[in-house]
Amino acid sequence: MMITIINIALLLIMPFLFLGFINRIKSRWAGRKGPSIMQPFRDFMKLMKKGEVISSTSSFVFRLAPSVTFAAVITAGLIAPLAGGKSVISFEADFILFAYVLGIGRFFTVVGALDTGSSFEGMGASREVTFAALVEPAFFIIIASLGLISGGLSFERIFEIAKGGDVAILVLPLGIIALFIMLLAEGCRVPVDDPNTHLELTMIHEVMVLDNSGPDMGFIMYAAGMKMVVIGALIANLVIPAAFPLWASLGLMIAVQALLAVVIGTIESVTARLRMTHVPQFLLFMTAISAIIISTVVLFIAGGIK
Amino acid sequence: MEMMDLFIAGIGIILAGGLVSMVLPERLKSWAVALGTGCGAALIAWVSLNALFEESPITAAYVLSYPTGTVRLVIDKLAAFFSLVIAGISFLGTVYAIGYMKPYYGKKNGTTSHFFFLAALIASMLSVIALQNAVAFLIAWEIMSLSSFFLVAFENESEEVYQASINYLIAMHIGVLFLMVGFLAAAFQSGSFDFASFTTVFQEHRGLASLVFVLLFIGFGTKAGFVPFHTWLPKAHPAAPSHISGLMSGIMIKTGIYGILRTVLLIQTPAFEIAYFVLIISVISGILGVAYAIAQHNIKRLLAYHSVENIGIIGIGIGLGMLGTAYGNVPLALLGYSGGILHVLNHSIFKSLLFFATGGVYQKTHLLDIEKLGGIVKFMAFTATAFLVGSIAICGLPPFNGFVSEFFIYWGMLKGLTAGNTLLSIAMVFSFASLAFIGAMALLCFTKVFGVVFLGSPRSEYHEAPVEVSFSMKAAMAIQMGLIVLIGVLPQYALSGVALVAQQLMPEGGKALDTSPYLITLGGVSKGLAVFIGLFAAIFFLRALLLRKRSVYTYKTWDCGYQAGNVRMQYTASSYAAPFLRIFRPLFSWKIHFTKPQGLFPGEAGFESHAEDRFERGIINPVLSMIERSMNAFTWIQSGSTQQYILYGLVFLISITLWIMVV
Repeated sequence: MMITIINIALLLIMPFLFLGFINRIKSRWAGRKGPSIMQPFRDFMKLMKKGEVISSTSSFVFRLAPSVTFAAVITAGLIAPLAGGKSVISFEADFILFAYVLGIGRFFTVVGALDTGSSFEGMGASREVTFAALVEPAFFIIIASLGLISGGLSFERIFEIAKGGDVAILVLPLGIIALFIMLLAEGCRVPVDDPNTHLELTMIHEVMVLDNSGPDMGFIMYAAGMKMVVIGALIANLVIPAAFPLWASLGLMIAVQALLAVVIGTIESVTARLRMTHVPQFLLFMTAISAIIISTVVLFIAGGIK
Repeated sequence: MEMMDLFIAGIGIILAGGLVSMVLPERLKSWAVALGTGCGAALIAWVSLNALFEESPITAAYVLSYPTGTVRLVIDKLAAFFSLVIAGISFLGTVYAIGYMKPYYGKKNGTTSHFFFLAALIASMLSVIALQNAVAFLIAWEIMSLSSFFLVAFENESEEVYQASINYLIAMHIGVLFLMVGFLAAAFQSGSFDFASFTTVFQEHRGLASLVFVLLFIGFGTKAGFVPFHTWLPKAHPAAPSHISGLMSGIMIKTGIYGILRTVLLIQTPAFEIAYFVLIISVISGILGVAYAIAQHNIKRLLAYHSVENIGIIGIGIGLGMLGTAYGNVPLALLGYSGGILHVLNHSIFKSLLFFATGGVYQKTHLLDIEKLGGIVKFMAFTATAFLVGSIAICGLPPFNGFVSEFFIYWGMLKGLTAGNTLLSIAMVFSFASLAFIGAMALLCFTKVFGVVFLGSPRSEYHEAPVEVSFSMKAAMAIQMGLIVLIGVLPQYALSGVALVAQQLMPEGGKALDTSPYLITLGGVSKGLAVFIGLFAAIFFLRALLLRKRSVYTYKTWDCGYQAGNVRMQYTASSYAAPFLRIFRPLFSWKIHFTKPQGLFPGEAGFESHAEDRFERGIINPVLSMIERSMNAFTWIQSGSTQQYILYGLVFLISITLWIMVV
């Protein structure tokens, strides 16, 4: 019960801090003081107090989309293990629901974008689904490999056991890199996408929500931050030892997330976004890593192909 | 015996509906067939439900003479499940046809034969499921192929439809050839055409069993649409009227799946190689089916390729089930078979729904080209909602039914993954990733179709503003949507239902299996889905609450300050799919027409690209033309001269006489 409450609180609070922290880091790199860490929260509250402008081309799909997406990301967050490596909702093969519930969120973001009839939003939607098609198989291979090491079938069990043993030294760093690429792709960050770009032609996520405003925009912003936190939590679970007491693991979880925010902020400050045609290559890098992971697991744990 | 009589009576009533419709005036024909199918389907559903939940199957035997011998009819759990699906979807199809066929009355002569063959198709599909005698089975199978051929050829005045239906006929006959060879090989050993006699032969000759399985798999796979035998599907489906496409894609191709499962049941414990063969062919079908679908611009053609994909997913489930049986891994077998079988039901519902919704769009706009449509949601909100529900379901997304069957399959793979066999583990990891890839591609494809066809603004002028479809069409779609949601949110009951069928396919150990541990996990899924739906409702309510007293006004779509936007500037389906197609270019064979602008004052210039099916161009077409060439060598036989034909008869009689004398 305690863990459930902590997890839900973490899930609700961390997205704002995560986004705020990234902005802070980026400001530092640019030599500015930067806005308060609480700025994303203030933005969110401001959006909640506004009315909306809705495209006259759009239909009920556009009105439903942000709520569906937000609900989907929260559900995924409840399935992912957070503090103490425990999830709020856990069952065998739960990570399939995790991936697919994010899928329904993506479906609605995309059709919501197409509903406006804007060519820019269509462009973003097209990129979003194409890149997702490259990320998803790799994610499943990584999770399956961890499942193969641990013999566990739920998120909790997979992360709990996968950390032990010699092979972990090989697999875990690779897993962290691969999941980090997924975090950048799903969170629409540099080098896949630049959330601060000023040209609609080069955006992915931001361009899909050009026509949203008011509370809907707030939901979208919140959901985007939460998605990063949730994938960040998966990375943190690879690092945090299973036997740690709750408070230590909670602290480590926050520390890892903060570190991720620093890394993301740094990447965004020192590198540029990739050319759109090169993004698939970057994402296929994740597939390559996942292939190495599964080969490693098969060779070292299962003792090769018998 | 009584139950079986009811089943036969059901088939009889459906046929009677078709016969009666022939003599009725045009506008009553569809009602007669719908009524006949409704009554017949109700009887059959009753019998099937009984058979599904009873211990012993319903059987009957009829002593007939040469060539069949004794014909047994059996409604076991497998047959009961398929006849339930066929009866249900057929009924919805005939109800839909009432509204869909209305515009054709008085304009076309073919409606008499159309409705008769519709009833014949439904009756023959149900007979195929029950017949346990190879010869009788093939006769019913052939009636099924022929009646569907006439249904596909409905608008035969169009050259394209004519070509497609002939192509379909040829594909079906090549398929049936493999079935004949397979059945003959088994019957030659067993000395009987009865399916039960095959089982004993297969037990003794494992090699023969595998060979017959592959032959029958090709024959049934042609019907089902496995790659590379799928090429008739994307031709025949767009050609047929929409309710026929719905029935063909929703249930007729499933008779192929039924045939494969029946063969599995006859073989009992399949060899590893066979199980891997099914799994690999299915994974390839799944990936290529959806990849080819993405490149299509005709909605029905696109949906047809998705049938190839979904048959692939069903096949993956069956392959897992067979692997589970072969390795003695009960959870893998149970979940694999259950997932595959449930996907048969799910696909029959959402694919026919998608075809029905598409049919509504076609009826009102006379367009099937995605690039010319757009903004349909503003004219036909119900049809758009139906298509949206179907799209979410076919992408396998929660909380709808497609997710449940895919979840079973994934879950089965996980059970195989951790079972300790390295080869199996590797196979599981790759099928795992493949299924995820298929799902992500399906999402791309259906956001494209739904977004471009239904959302945004119309991309061309419609002849008249489209209006919502008629009541009977809406009724059919409403029932399908209800089923999609029901199976989606109650996965526990779905497993309890299909596990009965799956257990029949498993060897003895699986039959007594307790499924209750599986229900606990499904309770978790159900809880997760409930949380998702609850959160959505809460957030949407919060939004409405916040916006209650605020200004919500509509304005033009933001187009970066450019104020002269027009509908032609919307993203098209081709541009939407382009980034994906560029990455996976080698999967397709491309046809590019490029006219360069020339001279100082360039006139016409153009660029067109078509992604084509590699299998059709690379394998099927060359084989077909080779067959055509070799057949042309025999054209002299059919000279048209009566004397020559009499000579053939004489030669035949003499050789028979000689043969009898010698032997």
